[in-house]
Amino acid sequence: MPAYLLEIFVVLLGLAMLGMEAFAGRGSRATIGLVGVAGLGLTFALLLFAVCCPEEGLSYWGIYHFDRPAAFYKGIALLSTMLVLVMAREFAPVLKRYTSQAEAHAGLGEFYSLPVFVCAGLMWMASAKDLITIFVSLEVVTMGFYVLVAYMRRNVGSLEAGVKYLILGALSTGFLVYGIAWVYGVTGEFELAAIGEVLAGGAYSERAALFAFALVAVGLGFKIAAVPFQIWVPDVYQGAPMPVTAFLSVGSKAAGFIVLLRVAEPFLGAPAINGPVVLLLAVLTCATLIYGNLGAIPQTNVKRLLAYSSIAHAGFLLMALPSVAGGGEIAGPGGGQAISFYLAGYLLMTLLCFTVLTVVRAGTGAEDLGGLAGLAKRSPLLAFAMLVGVASLAGVPLTVGFFGKFFLFNIAVQEAMRSGLWIVVSVAVLGAAAGFYYYFKIIRAMYWDDAGADGDPGGDAALQLGGLTRVAVVLLVLAVLFFGIYPAPILGLLG
Amino acid sequence: MLFYIFSGVMLLFAGLVVVNRNPVSSALSLVVSFLGLAALFVTLNAYFIGVIQVLVYTGAVMVLFLFIIMLLDIKAERRRDINYLALGGGAVVLLALVVQLATAVGSLGAGPEKLSPLPDDPAAHQDVRQVGLAIFTDYNFHLQLLGVLLLIATVGVVVLSRRQADDVAGGR
Repeated sequence: MPAYLLEIFVVLLGLAMLGMEAFAGRGSRATIGLVGVAGLGLTFALLLFAVCCPEEGLSYWGIYHFDRPAAFYKGIALLSTMLVLVMAREFAPVLKRYTSQAEAHAGLGEFYSLPVFVCAGLMWMASAKDLITIFVSLEVVTMGFYVLVAYMRRNVGSLEAGVKYLILGALSTGFLVYGIAWVYGVTGEFELAAIGEVLAGGAYSERAALFAFALVAVGLGFKIAAVPFQIWVPDVYQGAPMPVTAFLSVGSKAAGFIVLLRVAEPFLGAPAINGPVVLLLAVLTCATLIYGNLGAIPQTNVKRLLAYSSIAHAGFLLMALPSVAGGGEIAGPGGGQAISFYLAGYLLMTLLCFTVLTVVRAGTGAEDLGGLAGLAKRSPLLAFAMLVGVASLAGVPLTVGFFGKFFLFNIAVQEAMRSGLWIVVSVAVLGAAAGFYYYFKIIRAMYWDDAGADGDPGGDAALQLGGLTRVAVVLLVLAVLFFGIYPAPILGLLG
Repeated sequence: MLFYIFSGVMLLFAGLVVVNRNPVSSALSLVVSFLGLAALFVTLNAYFIGVIQVLVYTGAVMVLFLFIIMLLDIKAERRRDINYLALGGGAVVLLALVVQLATAVGSLGAGPEKLSPLPDDPAAHQDVRQVGLAIFTDYNFHLQLLGVLLLIATVGVVVLSRRQADDVAGGR
């Protein structure tokens, strides 16, 4: 089965869900979310068993490429969308309050089907190897997010987040297009492989090439939330509906990093401009690590805390980027593999945290640390799941987050030996240490703080957990722990 | 000669957009500025872009602007105190951008190779035909992606502008 059918299948699934919302009776509307989860699961199975993985990369029409990394990122897109839909079902009561539809589940069909279209965009992006396809699929993804962020339109926070995201997103898109135009002007090519050849050849203006890379880096810096392009992150994360925040932090970040990996490779591979590009990335990395980790410390809103943590994680990921072009031998997994592994682990742990938070939010209406107080007594399963997720985000051994950080640091140290930029590694070590402090604040709130102290509204009631959500939480916990002990399967997928 | 006339008109009216206090006059100045741009495209033999410029920007976008201005009934803007700090900051950023652009453009030698001159074949100058061919053959895949993008945008507009349940007494 040709790989491009996967996306077509996903788009058709989205259309079918829209159709159900429009034409199906009241009773079956409640199942739209389930249909989405099932359809995406089926697509994931097709990806694993019917499509994956050709020995060498396939290419259709010279536009759509399918190789191991593409399959891996398609898998990430499908899995995260599935979990987001599970979360969205749990979040439906909150959403309903702020969209004010007459009946339960009415008007939620769009909330379930938009992530499916975004997923198709993410999957196309994983297969894109020329700037035009990358740009178009990136816009498909971003357009979906604009709508999703502002979905709770009767909530001022959500609207504010939507407007901020729209304006800053449009601005970053402008930078990206301008950068792409400069890249084309310098090299005369849109294909990344051809761009790499021209840049390695040396017959071009170095200054113009660097200007082009800087513009592209600004545009993509917005998407991955690197400092100094991070201003939107805390407000948008806090204002957006919880499942959308989770999707943003996983989907949008993964998308930004695939594109950055692909686009940075030709520039890093060109000997003439490698030095300045590495320096630029090092400055971005340091700023991102410092801002993200220090900014997270005083936060009391959990979503805001996770927003800063997401900035910090972008910093850790950026650390490995300079080694992508393969300058010199690297022991252990290479730069691209380490980043992909970290993103896969990040998907598991972030979605785990957000699933728990979604349940807490829907149950108690609280989003700050106080809402988590005494969670261990109210719902031991949720508290344990959150404990695993947060520990993994901090990078405690025996969780997948530990191996992710381990591989990234491994690369960063070897990269520093080559380039002499040891400051990046030391900042990252400090950042990881600071991470323990604010992540453990969440654990302290759950296990040691007393729920009754601040008069929590639904303090004593046990939280309701849907069956599908329970399965998802348990599976995520097991996955985080399993890959934290035995990461070989993910590395095997990466080849 | 025509180039200077049209760019003069363009710049003059672009300035008027900023200077005018009445939003409707500003919008109409912008229309004239866009027309000047379209005329510039036509003098470059880029008829297709010229026509698109008139149809899309001058026609659709600006009419939309005017509609919004009239619907919202915006009165002439009050004269505000000028924030010199912001003005200075903006000027510095502008200057930095211009200097950077100038150095980047100045250091550009000839590209890797010269563009081949356009063939004299009149069929090759049918730019609408060429644009159509490019979009529907080479970039057909991207066109399909844009279809999905437009679908998302449409759904989004419906979602975000749907009337509240309490307004819709008789159901949707």
